[in-house]
Amino acid sequence: MDNTDTLKPQRSRAAKWTRRGFIGAGVLTGGALLIGVGVRPGNPVGRLGPIVAGGEGEQLINSWLKIDADNIATAIVPHCEMGQGAHSALAQMLADELDADWSLVRVMQAPADGNYIVTDTARLFVAPGTLGAPDWLEPTWNGLFTNIGRLADAMITGGSSSVRSTGQHTMRIAGAAARHMLVAAAAESWGVPAGEITTANSMLRHAASGKSAPYAQFAAAAAGQAMPQTPPLKQPRAYRLMGTDAPRLDIPAKVDGSASFGIDATVPDQQLSYAAVRRVPVPGTRVTAMDAEQARAMPGVLQILNMGDFLAVVADGYWQAQQALDTITAEYSPAESTIRSSADQYARFTAALDAAGDSGGDEAASHGDAVGAFASAATKLEAEYRTPYLAHAPLEPMNATAWVREGKCDIWTSTQVPLMARTAAARATGLSTDDVTLHHPLLGGGFGRRLETDYVTMAARIGAATGYPVKMIWSREEDTQKGVFRPADISRFKGGLDPDGRLVAYDNAFTQRHDPPGAFDCPFYDIPDKSIRVAEAEILLPFASLRSVDHGQQGFFIESFIDEAAHAAGKDPVEFRLALLGRSPRHKAVLEKVAAMADWGTTAEGHGKGVALVESFGTIVAEVVEVDMTSGSPRLVTVWCAADPGFAVNPDGFCSQMEGGIVYGLTAALYGEISLRDGAVEQSNFHDYKMLRMDECPAIAVEIINGDHVTLGGAGEPGLPPVAPALANAIFAVSGRRLREMPFAKQFS
Amino acid sequence: MVSFTINGKPTTVDADPSMPILWVVRERLGMTGTKFGCGIAQCGACTVHLDGQPIRSCSTPLSEAEGRAITTIEGIAGPDGELSRIQQAWISEQVPQCGYCQSGQIMAATALLRDNPRPTDDEIDAAMAGNICRCGTYVRIRRAIKVAAGIEATASGEAA
Amino acid sequence: MRPVTRAQPLALALTFAFALAACGSDPEPPTEQITVSEPGAAQTAPAAATAPEVAATDPVAAGKAAFAVCTACHSAEPGAAAGIGPNLAGVVGRKAGTLEGFAYSEAMKASAITWNEAELDTYLTLPAARVPGTKMTFAGVSDPAKRAAIIAYLASITG
Repeated sequence: MDNTDTLKPQRSRAAKWTRRGFIGAGVLTGGALLIGVGVRPGNPVGRLGPIVAGGEGEQLINSWLKIDADNIATAIVPHCEMGQGAHSALAQMLADELDADWSLVRVMQAPADGNYIVTDTARLFVAPGTLGAPDWLEPTWNGLFTNIGRLADAMITGGSSSVRSTGQHTMRIAGAAARHMLVAAAAESWGVPAGEITTANSMLRHAASGKSAPYAQFAAAAAGQAMPQTPPLKQPRAYRLMGTDAPRLDIPAKVDGSASFGIDATVPDQQLSYAAVRRVPVPGTRVTAMDAEQARAMPGVLQILNMGDFLAVVADGYWQAQQALDTITAEYSPAESTIRSSADQYARFTAALDAAGDSGGDEAASHGDAVGAFASAATKLEAEYRTPYLAHAPLEPMNATAWVREGKCDIWTSTQVPLMARTAAARATGLSTDDVTLHHPLLGGGFGRRLETDYVTMAARIGAATGYPVKMIWSREEDTQKGVFRPADISRFKGGLDPDGRLVAYDNAFTQRHDPPGAFDCPFYDIPDKSIRVAEAEILLPFASLRSVDHGQQGFFIESFIDEAAHAAGKDPVEFRLALLGRSPRHKAVLEKVAAMADWGTTAEGHGKGVALVESFGTIVAEVVEVDMTSGSPRLVTVWCAADPGFAVNPDGFCSQMEGGIVYGLTAALYGEISLRDGAVEQSNFHDYKMLRMDECPAIAVEIINGDHVTLGGAGEPGLPPVAPALANAIFAVSGRRLREMPFAKQFS
Repeated sequence: MVSFTINGKPTTVDADPSMPILWVVRERLGMTGTKFGCGIAQCGACTVHLDGQPIRSCSTPLSEAEGRAITTIEGIAGPDGELSRIQQAWISEQVPQCGYCQSGQIMAATALLRDNPRPTDDEIDAAMAGNICRCGTYVRIRRAIKVAAGIEATASGEAA
Repeated sequence: MRPVTRAQPLALALTFAFALAACGSDPEPPTEQITVSEPGAAQTAPAAATAPEVAATDPVAAGKAAFAVCTACHSAEPGAAAGIGPNLAGVVGRKAGTLEGFAYSEAMKASAITWNEAELDTYLTLPAARVPGTKMTFAGVSDPAKRAAIIAYLASITG
């Protein structure tokens, strides 16, 4: 196969691995034995204690847990909290193995420090074969991947990976090891065999002697005990917190206004100034001239900066800065790319796909002879689908506060990659990373946008220019137009059915392949002859992972096409899929479950139901959408969702993530479109980049199947991919109109 | 100089009268529970009450506050700090995800239930349609409003 | 066709380690830096300098100045496109909720208001009280003189 024309530039591939690629693995291939890096060789207490456990009466037990004099156990969580509930879920996993009382558990965000890289995430992706290593080899693998993780600044929250990697392979082990150490310390003190000591509700007990003590009493002694690297973990029947709806620990502060996000940062004992920014409108261009005469006379203005790739006004308030910035006119260098409009962008995709033809491009996955099978199929079908660029639009606009002075830099920001953000600030200021302190509070939404550090770099450059603390805030317009985007794409399919209406030939080509690996495929369907190819094409707007990444568009492409195949075969869409799931019992169970929930086969007058099934980030999700078309345009009625994440650590939290993924996916399906004119983004704010609102939100029902207690799936992203195709399929079911392009709403106006 | 009360406390601010209330509250008064989302009254993250009416503080100039009462998310708990019924329902239904929009959601819901203690589903949808939640917590917001109104029991079966 | 195998894991590890070593860059300072003032020393906005004050002599000019707070959402230029809110050129005398191409709230469409000076005065005092359910989330203009000026300005523009 000729694929010489499809190699990606090495730089883009490499840059991607440093971000998200290495955590995007579809299904983590764990064995039956859980091994992880919860406990690292060497005692971390002396080194880390002053950083994370400096409070009165606090004792660090291992890197991930401290216990204070009031018997409060604090889990030190290396992932960020952006709404997905990772802080609480990871604490829940540690606390269960620790036998802690949930009312005595707290969470602390781990600092942006090389000791808190998520080693096991790197290890699970890079070398899953090292799982199940013998105990004696464990420190070696552990050390190797810790070093790799440090090089890569691997402190990342993304890929729906917190629970399934850090939770399973770090927090549980840390909790179990700490429990073991507490028991050992009590056994020494009480002069009884460790095996006779039981633990529950943050207490140690020795039944025979009647002795008991809170964990706090032995915290200091426990910290000096030898740390087991592979402590035995609980079997599911012994779980007390995992699998329960333990209330999230971050919620109370989010109902009284006290929760602090990046944009709420203050600099202790310092007056803050504020910056508004305007980046160049077309990616890659430069500011060639600026007229700031009016701005310099405006009230509150401190500095006006032409940074080459952006303009900034620093003032004593954000509003003053933005008002002044709005008066500045600028000229820009010519654009490099000849892509000027959305039509140009789609033309690139079409040209690349045409060039690849029936068998060209980079072969992504194949088996059998798809071309031959298609040629001899009894029924043939072809379809082409397209999806536009999308902006993440987290409700907290991009922002960062920088204080650069005397060879030091402090940054406060909402980020999914605190160590990469620290490195970005170091590069922007010419300082070493040791001289940069990165403070990262709660995120007002991430969705992949905050895996990028462009805005941190900008704030650090402004801070370096001013020398005093500046909080840079992007307007919503900047956030919508000038950031990073989920790329547009076109995907083409050919399918062949045998005389019994079974899908036997499947040929697919598209242009965008980013993360996670394998998102373009649906291997759970038993299709004998298959070919999937990538014909890569230039995209104008900078790439970023957006919630569910490639699965967002691939789910729409694949599950729309499967639905078209079902109708071409004259079969019910659920029955058609079930017939392809003979080798995938978990997928079959999920699909059967959602069909039962939705009372599949019944539909009200003027309504339609559509189904879709996608596995992403290790979780299998099937959804049915009911749409009401009586007014001539789609009104969402109900979404039913069945999901198998292996095991839901916090079922209510998992349901909440499915609900969120569905709403995010419905916004994209109905409204989501970033379009180009003159090389720049046309949309600017929520009036023309619309979000689903309360009055359009359907009822949502979620049910969970726990199909595998060892290899867990993610929660934050897998709810999204099935919903757009399920909606398109529902609209087809009631109207006979097949939607092959997103977004849908404008096609009915 | 513009004088008003904020959460019951008389306050005078020396600022440009055309400065939006949002930035006065956040930057001058240091109360950051009220959020900036869009700047054009589209998302509702900046919702506060002005004389009891929910307004978008990002698009309402300070001059409008002269002699009037501003209430923010920091001011809706009881005097002893006890959370309002709506705040409690937000916890019992585990509504917030990232939490950034929730101050605005709670301010909108507070005004709704004060004026209409037993709203229908359509009335809830209409009153809350001005508030965007990017995390997609709408179904839980609906449920929490009904729990706070006494229309529905909590999902966990306990009385609110 | 052949089955496709994924890249070898350790090769990937090297790839991302290499990427970090390769992408260092020098800090990029401003190409132009205009310092107007220092923090703390900055002039706080004198109220009179920017506040749209109502001048007694010309209500239309005063109204145009006071209309500044409305322009985040509304244009009053004849023929200009709708923004967040509808174009207000010619609003006086118009039936509420009828400007073609603007997606009004059901409440506004059902309000049966025809905009005259008195109706606009009531509405602008507290929009949500006059038309409950309006999309206009503006708090209202409490100063009667300022309302009168804005209305005078709107009345001076024909659609």
